[in-house]
Amino acid sequence: MLTIEHISKDLGEFILDDVSLRVEDGEYFVIIGPTGAGKTILLETIAGVYPPDSGTVVLDGRDVTFVPPRERNITMVYQDYMLFPHLTVEENIGFGLKNRKLPPDEIAQKVRDVAEIFGIGHLLHRYPNTLSGGEQQRAAISRAIVLEPSILLLDEPLSALDGQTRERLRIELKRLHATYKTTIIHITHNFEEVFSLASRVAVMHQGKIMQVGTSDEVFRHPNSEFIAEFVGVQNIFRGTCMVTDGLSEITVKGTDGPHLICSSLCAGNTDVTATIRPEDIMVSCTRVESTARNSFAGTITDVADNGSMVRIAVDTGLPFIAAVTRQGWYSLGAEIGDTVYLTVMAQSVHIF
Amino acid sequence: MKSDLRRNWVKVISISVALVLTGFIIALLLLVVTHPDPAAVVESLMSKEIQFAIYLSLVTSIISTLLCVLIAVPAAYALARYDFWGKSFVSTILDLPLALPPLVAGVGLLLFFGTTPIGDFLESIGIVFVFTPLGIIIAQFFVNMPFMLRIMRSTFTDISPRYEYVACTLGCTNLQAIWRVTIPMAVNGFLAGAVITWAKGIGEFGAALMIAGATRMKTETLPISLFLNMSCGELEMAISAAIILMVISLVSLYVFEYFGGSAKF
Repeated sequence: MLTIEHISKDLGEFILDDVSLRVEDGEYFVIIGPTGAGKTILLETIAGVYPPDSGTVVLDGRDVTFVPPRERNITMVYQDYMLFPHLTVEENIGFGLKNRKLPPDEIAQKVRDVAEIFGIGHLLHRYPNTLSGGEQQRAAISRAIVLEPSILLLDEPLSALDGQTRERLRIELKRLHATYKTTIIHITHNFEEVFSLASRVAVMHQGKIMQVGTSDEVFRHPNSEFIAEFVGVQNIFRGTCMVTDGLSEITVKGTDGPHLICSSLCAGNTDVTATIRPEDIMVSCTRVESTARNSFAGTITDVADNGSMVRIAVDTGLPFIAAVTRQGWYSLGAEIGDTVYLTVMAQSVHIF
Repeated sequence: MKSDLRRNWVKVISISVALVLTGFIIALLLLVVTHPDPAAVVESLMSKEIQFAIYLSLVTSIISTLLCVLIAVPAAYALARYDFWGKSFVSTILDLPLALPPLVAGVGLLLFFGTTPIGDFLESIGIVFVFTPLGIIIAQFFVNMPFMLRIMRSTFTDISPRYEYVACTLGCTNLQAIWRVTIPMAVNGFLAGAVITWAKGIGEFGAALMIAGATRMKTETLPISLFLNMSCGELEMAISAAIILMVISLVSLYVFEYFGGSAKF
């Protein structure tokens, strides 16, 4: 288990600001955040590349804050592979084993085994610059995993690859994690990687950890406006929360006067920000009789077809964005300018 | 004159300038080679004096190049990898010998080794720089060290420190990471730097003249030999020294370019 407590580090351009984090054994932990959020220095501090200005790093009960990287058994893979260009793929993968003074035939065996798993067994005699991006990244991951590290750090491992290769390697990472049960910390800015890989996810911004949780928690219940915007919640409304007659209602100022939005999470008489995920909004041509507390009539102002989902902008006095499946959109049979009804469950209105 | 897209005067004139300059340089080189009687040049090359000058030039330049490597590589690494207080000042001063006239550097060296307690101490334990071949070595080292330093610095800067980070997570100490990863990756810059430092060392004249003097058969390197023989009218001897220096610089420049030196300087 890795426990990071109150780590701060100032590298001028990038900073870590009082970061605390706990990663359980065997977890696939994903850290997501915009460029410059400090994700890479966090990984490098965990790896022991530089000492933190303050705070502690504890690995399996041992304080490793100032322990050099070679004594941590944490390995790292970068976005741009960092394979040593003067060594063959075989020598690259065997680099760490050689440092551990293993006998040559054992090194050769282990290198062959891991290379087979990643499907690069036939490339062992080649030099890295003769390999494709996907092959290089497989070699880099092999080099890191062959040491059986207690933690494998992946710094945007798929970002430099083309779409198809990225998809394939993502599946391999999932398989790798299932097979080796290695604790993995994976940095990305790609949401698909979060949904398909993460046991838990942390969102970083300006050197701070903003939120940690399962991907569902973070995406459905963002705890700050930054995360809501970053993870793509489109409907963000500011208003005052009031509890009247056991009903929690948020008063939001719209273009035509105040609107009320019900939320089961709102707890009374404070200024709040409410968010509703576009796919949590039901769109229909007639008013739906349901237990849902929120039903709004509005005019469609814009329609954007994103492939699998269609995003509809609806003006109800408040600007809503709803997302429906393509099929849903065609069966709705509506056009820009038509009046539609939006229905939102009270528990889909998130408050922070 | 009517403009015509097919006549680009800027192109014509600028290319002409480059061609004239090239012609001028080739003419000079050819003159040096063709002016004397070939038989006389061969005879001079075989003479004891020129043989000594070749020998002394090779020994001093090789030793001074090794010294440059030994000192410039760690200094260049520090400048490429670390931030420290006074870094830009240090960096400027280390480049200074590039701009300093070698004669001035020579005077400084002469004063340092001839008049200071450090010089006196070295002399007392038998290490004498003034008017000896050791003086030639230190002069070459001082004047040419910035070439090695600049090339190694930009070579190290071009190598991402992340290679070393990865090597460290794979079990290397800092020094092992540099030795097993960074240095092998820096090999081209290393060779380019060493070759240009060596070639400049062979040709070093001004600073060496100041501290080591120009004594026949004692501190007579190839450029000193050229100078001595020219001043007493021994044209064949002078020119054979010049030809050797010319060949060395041509070959060195080729090797330097082959290892991508000009991009790094």
